[in-house]
Amino acid sequence: MTKEKKISITIDNKQVEVRPNITILQAARDNNVYIPSLCALEHLPSYGACRLCIVEVDGLRGFPTSCTTPVEAGMVVRTDTAEIRGLRQEILKLLLSEHPASCLFCDEHDECKKFMGTIRKVGVITGCRYCPNDARCEIQEIVDKVGLTETSYPVYYRGFPVEKNDPFYDRDYNLCILCGRCIRVCNSIRFNGTLAFKQRGKLTTIGPAFDRTHLEAGCEFCGACVSVCPTGALSTKTSKWYGIADAQVGTTCTFCSVGCRLLLQVKNDEVIDVLPDYDDTVDQGLICVKGRFAIPEYVNSPQRNTTPQKLTPVGYEVITWDQAFDLAAEKLSGVKPDDILVVISPQLSNEDLFVAQRFVRQVLGSPPMMSSVLFDLGNDISSFFDLVLYTSTYDSLETAQGILSVGFDSTYGYTPIGIAAKRAAQRGAVLVTLGSCDSNLDMLSEASFKMEPSRWAGFLDVFTDSLARKGKGKSRGTKEFAGNLNEVTEALSGSSANVLIMGPEVIFSYRRNEVFERIKVLRDRLGWKIIVAHPYTNLIGMLAMGAFPGVKPGELLQNGSKSIKLGIPSLDPTKRKKLVYLVGEGRFDIIPDCDYLIYQNAIMPSSWRQPDLILPTSLFPESPGTTINVERRILTLEKATGQYMDSRADWWIMTRIADRMKKGKFKYKDINSIQSEIKKQIPNFKASKKKVDFVKIDFKNGGKWLKGSTKVEPESLPSATYSSYRGIPLAQVVGGMKIIEDWDRSSSFSDKEAQ
Amino acid sequence: MNKINKKISLAKKKWKDLEDNTEPIIYVGAASCGRAAGALELLNGIDQFLVENKVFARVIQVGCIGPCYLEPLVDIKLPEQPRVSYNNVNMKMLPAILKSHLLQGVPHAKLALGNFGNESFYDIPRFFDLPMLKPQVRIVLRNCGFVDPEDIDQYLALDGYRGLINALKMSPEDVIGVVRQAGLRGRGGAGFPTFKKWTVCRNSPGEQKYLICNADEGDPGAFMNRSLIESDPHALLEGMLIAGYAIGASKGIIYIRAEYPLAIERLKKAIGQMREYGLLGNKILDSDFSFDVKIKEGAGAFVCGEETALIGSIEGKRGMPRSRPPFPAISGLYGCPTIINNVETLGTLPNILRNGAEWYTKFGKEGNRGTKTFSLVGKVRRPGLIEVQLGTPLREIIFDIGGGVQKNFKAIQTGGPSGGCLSEEFLDLPVDYESLASVGSIMGSGGLIIMDDDTCIVDVARYFLDFTQKESCGKCVPCRVGTRHMVELLDKITHGDGTPEDLMALRTLGDTIKRGALCGLGQTAPNPVLTTLRYFRNEYLEHIKDGRCRATVCKDLIEYRVIKEKCTGCQSCVRVCPTGAISGPRSEPHNLDPTKCIKCRSCYEVCRFEAIAGDAIVIRSAEKRT
Repeated sequence: MTKEKKISITIDNKQVEVRPNITILQAARDNNVYIPSLCALEHLPSYGACRLCIVEVDGLRGFPTSCTTPVEAGMVVRTDTAEIRGLRQEILKLLLSEHPASCLFCDEHDECKKFMGTIRKVGVITGCRYCPNDARCEIQEIVDKVGLTETSYPVYYRGFPVEKNDPFYDRDYNLCILCGRCIRVCNSIRFNGTLAFKQRGKLTTIGPAFDRTHLEAGCEFCGACVSVCPTGALSTKTSKWYGIADAQVGTTCTFCSVGCRLLLQVKNDEVIDVLPDYDDTVDQGLICVKGRFAIPEYVNSPQRNTTPQKLTPVGYEVITWDQAFDLAAEKLSGVKPDDILVVISPQLSNEDLFVAQRFVRQVLGSPPMMSSVLFDLGNDISSFFDLVLYTSTYDSLETAQGILSVGFDSTYGYTPIGIAAKRAAQRGAVLVTLGSCDSNLDMLSEASFKMEPSRWAGFLDVFTDSLARKGKGKSRGTKEFAGNLNEVTEALSGSSANVLIMGPEVIFSYRRNEVFERIKVLRDRLGWKIIVAHPYTNLIGMLAMGAFPGVKPGELLQNGSKSIKLGIPSLDPTKRKKLVYLVGEGRFDIIPDCDYLIYQNAIMPSSWRQPDLILPTSLFPESPGTTINVERRILTLEKATGQYMDSRADWWIMTRIADRMKKGKFKYKDINSIQSEIKKQIPNFKASKKKVDFVKIDFKNGGKWLKGSTKVEPESLPSATYSSYRGIPLAQVVGGMKIIEDWDRSSSFSDKEAQ
Repeated sequence: MNKINKKISLAKKKWKDLEDNTEPIIYVGAASCGRAAGALELLNGIDQFLVENKVFARVIQVGCIGPCYLEPLVDIKLPEQPRVSYNNVNMKMLPAILKSHLLQGVPHAKLALGNFGNESFYDIPRFFDLPMLKPQVRIVLRNCGFVDPEDIDQYLALDGYRGLINALKMSPEDVIGVVRQAGLRGRGGAGFPTFKKWTVCRNSPGEQKYLICNADEGDPGAFMNRSLIESDPHALLEGMLIAGYAIGASKGIIYIRAEYPLAIERLKKAIGQMREYGLLGNKILDSDFSFDVKIKEGAGAFVCGEETALIGSIEGKRGMPRSRPPFPAISGLYGCPTIINNVETLGTLPNILRNGAEWYTKFGKEGNRGTKTFSLVGKVRRPGLIEVQLGTPLREIIFDIGGGVQKNFKAIQTGGPSGGCLSEEFLDLPVDYESLASVGSIMGSGGLIIMDDDTCIVDVARYFLDFTQKESCGKCVPCRVGTRHMVELLDKITHGDGTPEDLMALRTLGDTIKRGALCGLGQTAPNPVLTTLRYFRNEYLEHIKDGRCRATVCKDLIEYRVIKEKCTGCQSCVRVCPTGAISGPRSEPHNLDPTKCIKCRSCYEVCRFEAIAGDAIVIRSAEKRT
């Protein structure tokens, strides 16, 4: 990185060296000079609306706002003259005449919090708290700093009804100061464009155009607007009255394979809210609705399994962990390994997966293992692995000249990838979308092709063909695929940095193997980079840890050998078993009939099947560990809260069962002991944020593992909306996700009807 | 070059034929102002007359010549006779005029207004000797009302595009030099020297540069730009080519209000003709200069006249100003260097380039060179579009050109809704940028609103502030909230509930907004209040202390009653009263029931005995309510 030459300016009679190309406000902040400001925010384009950051600059007329004025060498800035102070106070008074201010200027202001000595119009317990943002409000801070003690102007209460109809967050625009942060983050950072200013003059307000609801307006519910709001106008439904969090814990989201960093807000040992981390290198704070809003409701759900239970003829009976271990050990010892099927979820942490594979191999004597990813992809698994294990990093989108998205939509998931693609399109890259229904990338795309998934392979053939001929000449399918295919391919053929984004829709479509093969052609012959967005969070970790049939721990990671032969043991997943053990997996649809079902998970799926033994597990905010995202970066999971009731981590449960069965030497006391053993066994597995790389895999028998003529047809899942965690659909647990899912279903249905 | 010379000589020949006409020509002023006064109806009437009387005459629709109060204007030119103009023509007068002038060959001297010859003709004075026109200097408006705005040949014949041809012979830097020498300042209001802005843009790095013509004339009561575009679109377009050449732009955009359909239509036609003549597109007149013009229709937001909001609007964003620096000349439309010039600035350029800088400096005074167009409106006797040299005293504009005020002169507002109101003591103030600024007003784009005794100054201030408040984009706090407070305070005063402290608050608010607002709209919005507080403080105090509105406008402060001595009992007021508040038998003084009266002022307007016996019904200021 070349070092930029610093320039020298004078702030309040002090000469300081500052970076060039920044604003006066940033320069002042870098040098610990306080300038009050409400509308400016790092990461957002400057705006200059609140007028509180005014300064005096020699040679510039009037009072320029420091958040918009770039520094120039030799500039002389004064930030705190008597005139500026007076003007600032006046402006702040005006601002507060549109914002309820009793929490700012009440006579009882100081005593109120301590003694609740309010006038007795409101509850003594609550005090006059009508704003959810008390103590987090930026206006309170500014009023304090600017030194305002009263306001002389009449207050205009705008009398808007509080908007509570949309999921996840409420909007009380009576508290809004129109700083425009939400609009800027929605439009310039997320490229979503849901929010806009409406009306003008004193009627100016914020919301989607034409008075639509946020759902109708295409809101992604990413919550970015809520995070940047300086007032209580926008507030998260679940946590609005909780006040300030006790602690903030940075962890990694495990709802999909992107691996976004989340800042969990913890209060009273409970996750109350989640904030994005704008400085994170993986996602740059561009988290989706699931990470932003679904976690508190999911981890604190009343549906969670709280204690071990066993099924009796009269229903479930609560048992102690000791009883549960004894029961599990007895049942597992009583059957031959071949009569057992262990299903391991790819959404567990590396540590859980490592212990799980050891448990299966050393304690149970290597019974058949299975995973949802194996079931979903069936015999097409080898092609899928060939794409997913060597996927490119997201930052390849930053330099991409051309982007093709296939079956990808980032409205309610995979947002860092989607936004990177949108950002690329905005700066001039050619974005092309291919899908069966509308995608949120269509808006910024050069061309978007809509067709049934079964025709995608055919399209990609024509596309590749046209690309090879640089868009010139007649290609056999251009007529069929109406649109400017030739134009697009001509533009794409000129660039050497092309990226294909493969979305989850591909995985759940018929004839997906053909699509995989076409994508491989683009990668291998034309040098395209491939990014795969899939819902199997820690699939990479699963393969690295060897929690996959036929894979030994660490054997797929690069350590000298160039390729490896891999045979997935054949299995008939529909054949009746004596015992099925689900490790963190809630998908009852993929398991065969059995005599005894051990269910180790946090939440029960909605199913007619009743497991015989329920072992409650903790979720990712409750136990530490590591996970690997689709870029193959090792990311850490931090423990934010204690265990939920009697639930325990998966590794803890399996260690104890192994102990009862007196097999294998399981001596794991805590996560560190597992990690040091992983390090011993898998030397390539390094510290967090490092990358792991895979060797070339040569699949025996083409990766065909389904026994005989068994066929597993993929279920058609149209988009990321229908995401699940540990086999439990988020919509089952999180009310807002249900609303979004229903909306998505009804709108895509009406789309089809319209056609 | 040859091609255009051929076109010019052809155009000149055509123009000569028109001047030495062998058949009668009828000119009808059919710009928006004329059409509003009934010009289209007259055109039909003329056609009908010609058909019925089996005479041939050429009918030409021309633009607006200026005196709006005389619209519609119909001019008739017979062979070997000067063109004679008739004013306020209606369908009743039309046959008489046509019969006398067209059929009998004798101008209808009684109805005629003026002739365009060199001396009086049949006792009809010269048109330009009329008191409204004599003090004017017509440079920008030189073709308005003379040429057919839809015919490029007429513009060419009158030395149109000569300025462009001259400019293309010079280097762009030299063109900027000429403009510098001419001392042209932006006519959009701020008066920034045009050459300075251009130099910054010319020197800014960037391959693509834009020239934008700001035709978003949003001031209530202002119509200079509309008239110019409707009457002489090529003047603007030629100016754009010159400016584009000087700054190195290849794309020009005219941002015009969609409320100006005729102007847009004529611009579109003019652009089509320019393409045909090789005056637009690649390699204009065989030079290396390429330029193209697009029209962008604005949806009618006052704030979009502010240059950064205008850029935002063109980019497809909400019309909201952004902070400067960076100035548009460095980073404007799509981040490229952009120059935004007003219609009038661009319309002046062809004249400067055609006649030279020295010629232009003959007009106006040091530092304020040239002329300025104004729309003179309000309670003046001769409202209309005028053009005067900068530095002309207000008195000359109001009394010589405008013909004085209907009642007693009270105030003049310059510069549209964000300008200041000046009292009688400033009548000798010369109209130039600095003088107006020194008394708290602005030149603005050129609206002049004259007010007389019937105008309540508090109500006017309230009206203008209400306008800016409603048109505020809502972005910055001082403008959005501050103007709202000011309007409420003024409301309070006009309702008779004001206190002396309110005047203090108004001043503080005005000051805060002026210094704190983001863009020109906010920074100038308090001007009407601040200036009236300064020059008409007594009227505010009358409202507050005495509860009296001397102009009898503020409804809450007035009461209507019948002056029995003057009332003749004609019953006109009884008929118009919408609530039946006035009653009484014919020929006897009427009664007015104040409990029923809604103060609609209809009776006051309809009473005919005002002139004979003074006010039959007067409006008396009510005692202040306690």
